Amino acid sequence: MTSTAILFLIAGLGLITWVFARARAGRFIQQGAASVHSLPSYHGWYAAMWAVVPAILFMLVWSTVAPALGSYAVLESPLAAQLPTDAFERAAILSEARSLSRNPDVKVFNDAARELAPLYADADRNYAMIGALAAFLLCFAGAAYAFTRIRPDFRARTQVERTVMLALLLASLIAILATLGIVASLIFETVRFFNLVSPFEFLFGLQWNPSDKVVDGQATGFGAVPLFWGTVFIGAIIAMLVAIPLGLMSAIYLTQYASANVRKWMKPILEILAGVPTVVYGYFAALTVAPALRSFAVAIGITDASSESALAAGLVMGVMIIPFVSSMADDSIAAVPGSMRDGSLAMGATKSETIKQVLIPAALPGVVGGVLLAVSRAIGETMIVVMAAGLAANLTANPFASVTTVTTQIVQLLTGDTDFNSPMTLAAFALGLTLFIVTLLLNIVALQIVKKYREAYD
Amino acid sequence: MLDNTATSSTNPKMSARDVKVFYGDKQAIKGVSIDIDMDNVVAFIGPSGCGKSTFLRTLNRMNDTIPIARVEGDITLDGENIYSSKMDVVQLRARVGMVFQKPNPFPKSIYDNVAYGARIHGLAPNKAELDQIVENSLVRAGLWNEVKDRLSDSGTALSGGQQQRLCIARAIAVDPEVILMDEPCSALDPIATAKIEELIHELRGRYAIVIVTHNMQQAARVSQKTAFFHLGTMVEYGDTSDIFTNPREERTRDYITGRYG
Amino acid sequence: MPANPQTPATGRTKTDWMGEAMQKRIARRYAAERRFKWMGLGAVALSSLFLAFLLVVMVGNGAKGFISTEATLTVDLPAATGSISPEQLTQPRLAATMASIDVRRIFDNAVQAQYGEDGARFFASTAWTALRDQLTENPNLVMSKTKVWLPTSSDIDRAAKDNSTPEAEADYATLRKAGEVRQTFNWRFLTGSDGTDPAQVGIWGALKGSLITMVVTLFLAFPVGVLAAVYLEEYASKNWLTDLIEVSINNLAAVPSIIFGLLGLAVFLQFFSMPRSAAIVGGLTLALMTMPVIVIAARNAIKAVPPSIREAAMGVGASPVQVVFHHVLPLAIPGIMTGTIIGMARALGETAPLLMIGMRAFTTTPPDGLTDPATVLPVQIFLWSDEVNRGFVEKTSAAIIVLLVFLLTMNAIAVYLRNRFETRW
Repeated sequence: MTSTAILFLIAGLGLITWVFARARAGRFIQQGAASVHSLPSYHGWYAAMWAVVPAILFMLVWSTVAPALGSYAVLESPLAAQLPTDAFERAAILSEARSLSRNPDVKVFNDAARELAPLYADADRNYAMIGALAAFLLCFAGAAYAFTRIRPDFRARTQVERTVMLALLLASLIAILATLGIVASLIFETVRFFNLVSPFEFLFGLQWNPSDKVVDGQATGFGAVPLFWGTVFIGAIIAMLVAIPLGLMSAIYLTQYASANVRKWMKPILEILAGVPTVVYGYFAALTVAPALRSFAVAIGITDASSESALAAGLVMGVMIIPFVSSMADDSIAAVPGSMRDGSLAMGATKSETIKQVLIPAALPGVVGGVLLAVSRAIGETMIVVMAAGLAANLTANPFASVTTVTTQIVQLLTGDTDFNSPMTLAAFALGLTLFIVTLLLNIVALQIVKKYREAYD
Repeated sequence: MLDNTATSSTNPKMSARDVKVFYGDKQAIKGVSIDIDMDNVVAFIGPSGCGKSTFLRTLNRMNDTIPIARVEGDITLDGENIYSSKMDVVQLRARVGMVFQKPNPFPKSIYDNVAYGARIHGLAPNKAELDQIVENSLVRAGLWNEVKDRLSDSGTALSGGQQQRLCIARAIAVDPEVILMDEPCSALDPIATAKIEELIHELRGRYAIVIVTHNMQQAARVSQKTAFFHLGTMVEYGDTSDIFTNPREERTRDYITGRYG
Repeated sequence: MPANPQTPATGRTKTDWMGEAMQKRIARRYAAERRFKWMGLGAVALSSLFLAFLLVVMVGNGAKGFISTEATLTVDLPAATGSISPEQLTQPRLAATMASIDVRRIFDNAVQAQYGEDGARFFASTAWTALRDQLTENPNLVMSKTKVWLPTSSDIDRAAKDNSTPEAEADYATLRKAGEVRQTFNWRFLTGSDGTDPAQVGIWGALKGSLITMVVTLFLAFPVGVLAAVYLEEYASKNWLTDLIEVSINNLAAVPSIIFGLLGLAVFLQFFSMPRSAAIVGGLTLALMTMPVIVIAARNAIKAVPPSIREAAMGVGASPVQVVFHHVLPLAIPGIMTGTIIGMARALGETAPLLMIGMRAFTTTPPDGLTDPATVLPVQIFLWSDEVNRGFVEKTSAAIIVLLVFLLTMNAIAVYLRNRFETRW
């Protein structure tokens, strides 16, 4: 019996419990019980909850425990005695046997796995059976318990609502859990990385040439400055040189000059730019923009232009960021009180003078906050740089040269098999932590600026 | 409304003839004719929504900034039609300045606020003259002594009354011929209001001044001529003393004696 | 102009607005105004032109991906299989009959017979499976000598579409002259899976992976997001825990997506030993990414429900839970749906975090369950973009077209919902 089927059965049992409990509570009213606290349906929900929740919780726990129990059972069997003693080899055979037991078409390399597979199948079947039985038992027990509590004066609604509140709280706590998960995993692996490479070397080293080699407990070639530079060069310089003027001018045109009709059509079109997946931009950058820029560079006499250039990645990333800057600028300009615009126009200023000398200075904090958010988004962007920026860790300000970025290297380091003891894998987490901290700081500062600015005009 | 209520002066600075304003399909001003001369402060009074502010904004074409607004009729400044294609709106607004209900200094320094108009219109060929214009304007707005030591502070850091006087100084700095004031004291406390009213007295004669107010005492105090607006029409226009003591129209009397409004 | 040119109080010359210098200055200011306006228009035009250019390039390259080139092959099946009686093709014995036919050998022989010793270069390496499929579909072919259309090799395909190697161009010219080549709609692209031969690949495998992943994401992120939003907006009291939740959600919404990939790798794969490349892990990772988007959208939607509705419900004796679940949430649903669709569209286009958890499996069959090795459409695009074979260019672009169609549809639905159900209170 598959776990999906069990889930459906338990849900069905929950429904039946709901119907019966509701009917039972309904009879109190028909019998004219003096004071019925809760509506019959609340009694129904209460009983259904008791039938379903413990059983499902048990199944969740069981699904994590059962495989281990299965492995244990297989290892206890006489056949397992022939297994090699080397822990790694043994684990490889066991995992092959397990996947073979689930899917007979899987290719296996160890013949021992073929023999063990039926054992696994048996053990898994047994434990699945036990689990299903226990789940059903819990389901019935829960339902029975709830049934005994259905009385006219039983506050079923209070109980149900208390559970709902608990569910709400738990759902909210998942956000904290996720944040903690990110921080903990990044810090944990980064600390391990810093046992192999000194933090000083990582943050200030100029040589990025990562390898698996560990000599005397130290790994070399993990100086991340070229990566930091590449990230800043593409995300904070080139992309912003494209996105800030275009985004800001678009926002100004659409809010101050364009007719309602033009605005109605152009705003969604700009928003589409933000909705195009980054992998599409990356492909476009690599397929079309980069070769064109290279030919251009060669034509103007830059012979060492690379086909994967910082400029190509930065340009395309800038375009991707345009709608973001534009909507932030739009909001900021809209937040400037209309009386300032009127004041300037009433002095005889033209529209552009009003915009340049009153609206933009007044909206500046909001625009700056928006640009910081845009930078934070640009430096965390992955696919465009992975596909268009290249892997050479150059420390150069030549936009036609290839540079690499933090995100590119994270992808590069984690491609293929990831061994959590290799300095390369751990370096990816150290880079991730750096990226996390920088984007977080940028966001906090930006939101603070925007908030202060909003308060100034409220 | 016909010409009978428009007091014709010999040399009007601005005059309006049969002005109608529409917001979309709605008519907000239903034919107003009025003359404004250099010697008198003119007050527009009337209940809220009567169109007095709307009419005021037609005098320097601030209604242009509202896309659905449409103006019909003739308004002239020194005999030139301000809605003709020959009249440049930028110049018009420099010649007909405006002070708003809520003080709206730009988020710039006090100096830059006052210098703003002179700079955009190129009125000062050099820094010394610009300094002179800023100082003169602040002096005349009665603000100089309060701010002369902190000209580089932000204009928004001043108190409400000071901000409004800064806005008046800003308007004066362009050297306009007419100043329109749209309820300039409604956001201010009584002391600040008194200062602005005093200022209006002093500015009288150098500029034609039109002030919109819902405060009849204020109209009586600062103006020599008063126009009473009601439901988009100008009901009565005459010397302030006459309007308040001996109005010709029933509706004016009702409003002034507080029957409605 | 007033009679006195000198204003006594200012001591400065009355501005001569009509003077030549002033007129010139005003002309200059208006020119600057026009320039500024044109710059604004230029910025908007440039941005939309870029979008148009991108779409044109993708459609231009990708349209060919939906076309496949086929060449004829005359197969003399009765000769190759011996005599198969019509009874053998009826239901109980059909399967056994079909299994007994060595389609691959028949194909090879037919190719050699028709196109010569190295005739295999004309057809896709997996063209024999197309022949097998045709036989399965129409067993009666076995009874006669027939001419079938089979997919050509990638080189010939490209020769038919733009340009290819000189040999392939020559081959194609020969085929064309003989009228033995045609172009048809490439159904295989929509129904097939990944492969090594660009002429034979399809996106169904990746698309199915995406769909399974999205279902997991939706089932996790939607309830959690909505419940969290309800809690924060309706019940949470102002304390440190609420602050912490708010900070976490805002923070998660701003974290680069690749960081979620690292989380998935370290927590789901390493710590919980979940299967690599599986849709369930991808769905979990994307759910964490999508949840804050849903929370923020749902909070705004709930916030937009006016307090009077709550007061009215409270007034007739509804409990706080009833107020929210019977009155507030139903009114907020359109806003929540809009936010959810937008969040899901973002998740559907996401690549980087899925690369981290290994959802780049090369599978020639579509995934069947939550734990099967799978890939998703954006990752498939990334993988194809890396292929050296030029034939993959049109396939990559074609896959991009499919992805964009999905995303645009989702966004259009979101916009429609917003406009249709947006209530002004």
